[in-house]
Amino acid sequence: MTDELAFWHRLQFAFTITYHYLFPQLTMGVAWFIVFWKWRARRTGDERYAAAARFWSRIFGLTFAVGVVTGIPMEFQFGTNWARFSRYAGGVIGQTLAMEGMFAFLLESAFVGAVIWGESRLGPRKHFYATVGVALGSWLSAYFILVTNAFMQHPVGHGVAADGTLVIAHMRAYLFNEWAFVQFAHNQTAALVTGTFAITAVGAFYTLRGTHVEQARLYLRHGTLVGLIAAIAVAFPTGDAQAKLVARYQEPALAGMEGRFETGPMAEITLIGQPNVKERRLDNPIRLPGMLSFLAYGTFHSDVRGLDAFPADQWPTNIELLYYAFHVMSGLGTIFIGLMALANVQRWRGRLETTPALLWILMLAFPFPFIANTAGWMTAELGRQPWLVYGLFRTRDGYSEVVSAGDVIFTLIGLTGMYFVLGLLYLFLVGREILHGSTAPVTSPYEVDDRTPAPDAKADVKVAHG
Amino acid sequence: MVELWFALLCFMFTMFAVLDGWNFGAGALHLIVARPGVERRQVIAAIGPIWSWHEVWLVAAGATFLLAFPKVMAVCFAGFYLALWLVLWSFILRGVSIEVGGHLDDPMWRSAWDVVFAVSSLLLAVLFGAALGNVIRGVPLDASGAFSMPLFTDFGVRGRVGILDWYTVSVAVLTAALVVAQGASYLAVKTSGAVHQRSQRWARATWIAVLALLPIVSIETWIVRPELVERLVQRPIAWLAIVALAVAAWAIVSGLRRGATVRAFAGSCVVVAGLLTAGAAAAFPVMLYSTLGPEHSLTAYNGSTSSHGLAVALIWWPVAAALALTYFVLILRSFGGPSRARS
Repeated sequence: MTDELAFWHRLQFAFTITYHYLFPQLTMGVAWFIVFWKWRARRTGDERYAAAARFWSRIFGLTFAVGVVTGIPMEFQFGTNWARFSRYAGGVIGQTLAMEGMFAFLLESAFVGAVIWGESRLGPRKHFYATVGVALGSWLSAYFILVTNAFMQHPVGHGVAADGTLVIAHMRAYLFNEWAFVQFAHNQTAALVTGTFAITAVGAFYTLRGTHVEQARLYLRHGTLVGLIAAIAVAFPTGDAQAKLVARYQEPALAGMEGRFETGPMAEITLIGQPNVKERRLDNPIRLPGMLSFLAYGTFHSDVRGLDAFPADQWPTNIELLYYAFHVMSGLGTIFIGLMALANVQRWRGRLETTPALLWILMLAFPFPFIANTAGWMTAELGRQPWLVYGLFRTRDGYSEVVSAGDVIFTLIGLTGMYFVLGLLYLFLVGREILHGSTAPVTSPYEVDDRTPAPDAKADVKVAHG
Repeated sequence: MVELWFALLCFMFTMFAVLDGWNFGAGALHLIVARPGVERRQVIAAIGPIWSWHEVWLVAAGATFLLAFPKVMAVCFAGFYLALWLVLWSFILRGVSIEVGGHLDDPMWRSAWDVVFAVSSLLLAVLFGAALGNVIRGVPLDASGAFSMPLFTDFGVRGRVGILDWYTVSVAVLTAALVVAQGASYLAVKTSGAVHQRSQRWARATWIAVLALLPIVSIETWIVRPELVERLVQRPIAWLAIVALAVAAWAIVSGLRRGATVRAFAGSCVVVAGLLTAGAAAAFPVMLYSTLGPEHSLTAYNGSTSSHGLAVALIWWPVAAALALTYFVLILRSFGGPSRARS
């Protein structure tokens, strides 16, 4: 019964966080593009950049809205579904969660409306600073939430109170956790991959259709260039650094990620294979010898401990899923580098816009960074199991006992339905924006100036929707 | 230190109640005071481009609750599980209706989202009212230090209580009336023409309702938790709040009579803040009162994190709050008022 209850609490949190994070990764990925284009537009006076910033601000706005409404439940689930964890660690993780709200959300939400609707009202200088505020807010929010997660992965800076709960002891150590830095670098470059793939996909779509050609050229140029840099940076140095941290602090997780059951030197990296937990071996593997030793510890001959070196109650609880999530992430990451490299080569040769096959691939590639990001987070969170706070507090001790499994199933079903409708609405409205392309500066379709007669306000709306 | 964080937490919840109170009220009313088309847009324009900024105060307050009083937050949120999810779903619907309603220039599309917006706004006012009623009345905390409540039991206010009983329903009704009155007062300031006149009428009617309900609910509170009223007399901050309430009542009455809309609206904000302040001052240090036995109650002292944690948070919190208010002023100066110089 308790296992069942734990399962439903975990499933609901996993579902809501996975769904939620589809949206912030896109807003964080395009935020600095909008800032950059606004900046270029101001310096060069080139209308193309202003139009690009305007179009992506509209996409940003829709994505941000879904991010906000799916984000509010995340904050509250710490209490509703993970009451015993909140009681245990709230004194520590509450610091960064509250900082996220006070520093980042209040910044982001104050200026997001101004970015989307305020171009003509604010004037170019103020509007530019509003976009900087939003971009800064969204990345700041990521840092605070990653510090929170980093504490769960690699707890530092805490003390233990008389009643056994955690309290903050060294705020600086907590805020500047080395795990948080590495995870931030890795996660933010991965968000940039999502953003650049989305921008490139829209560019490819317009080029294939022969509409908005000027905009398409800009999206393809900046999307593929930054896309290649980001795709490489996700793997090296950030992914590499992340793997080394896992090797140092979460050895059972590394063993699970690689499906490695036995300890030994010259540890192989597994390209393909199926972990067989029952027999404690990897079936049908294709491996590169010595690579895991090298990647984790810098020499080919280092010992990499397998799962056999740890008691079974410290093994990740779902080794198969952990293994596949890690391999999906790293496999896709490798493909992204290849695809973006190819796109850049073709662009330098001036052939990108005349290679329909490649444009089709670039257009249809946009969902895959979302999958890779999700798989990456699954790797991080499944690798952390069976711990909620690594080495200190187990997941099975963290959920709310007073909430029945029926209650959780009920809310999970409700959330599934609601998020399905939300997803439909989002895709419908974003698709519509993409078909319309960039437009003249818009005021909010709702905005009515008290001094102007009503018909003018209506005309505004007409302009807004072309 | 604990006292200070109790006050800051109450300040944040009050910020949310005042700021989103007028948005909820305006949302609940907009189907009635504004006709479809330009009039409704006028209402949504009045709610402004930063509705999410108002809502973030709730998120920030929730996180601050976790930071300062983790033991109370954990017990409270898990105990109100289903009720809280109703609140969260209403927030989702409300946010979506504001955002997507404006994206299609189609009367049916807009009308549908207008209804969602009004219903979710009103529902939130009622739900927050019921939540407040529950916090005042207390919850069935036992020796294990946890509770879980059904929606209702025998509608009584002692022992094994449910979320809804005669007292919490009264508080919910009062809250809904107060929120609508505040929204109407706000719309009277921000709109002109027919919407303005209808809002004025609604403000008058709902403020009369609030004035009629307030003494009733006060007497009910005295019956449910007599010690609250006794403590009210001992706490100077509560006296201040009561004086502020009296001044605010005068501002509302005279503002409504003379058509001084800003005065009435300012008064309504003070009423919301004053009632919450008086309540919090009387309740301190109890945060979650037990209906099964006062010794099981969770207080600010036995539910807070370490004083070092509270002290550390006190370093960054004022900085963040000052920054947040700066953005608010910047945005209001650009978007508030009718000026539209650059377009």
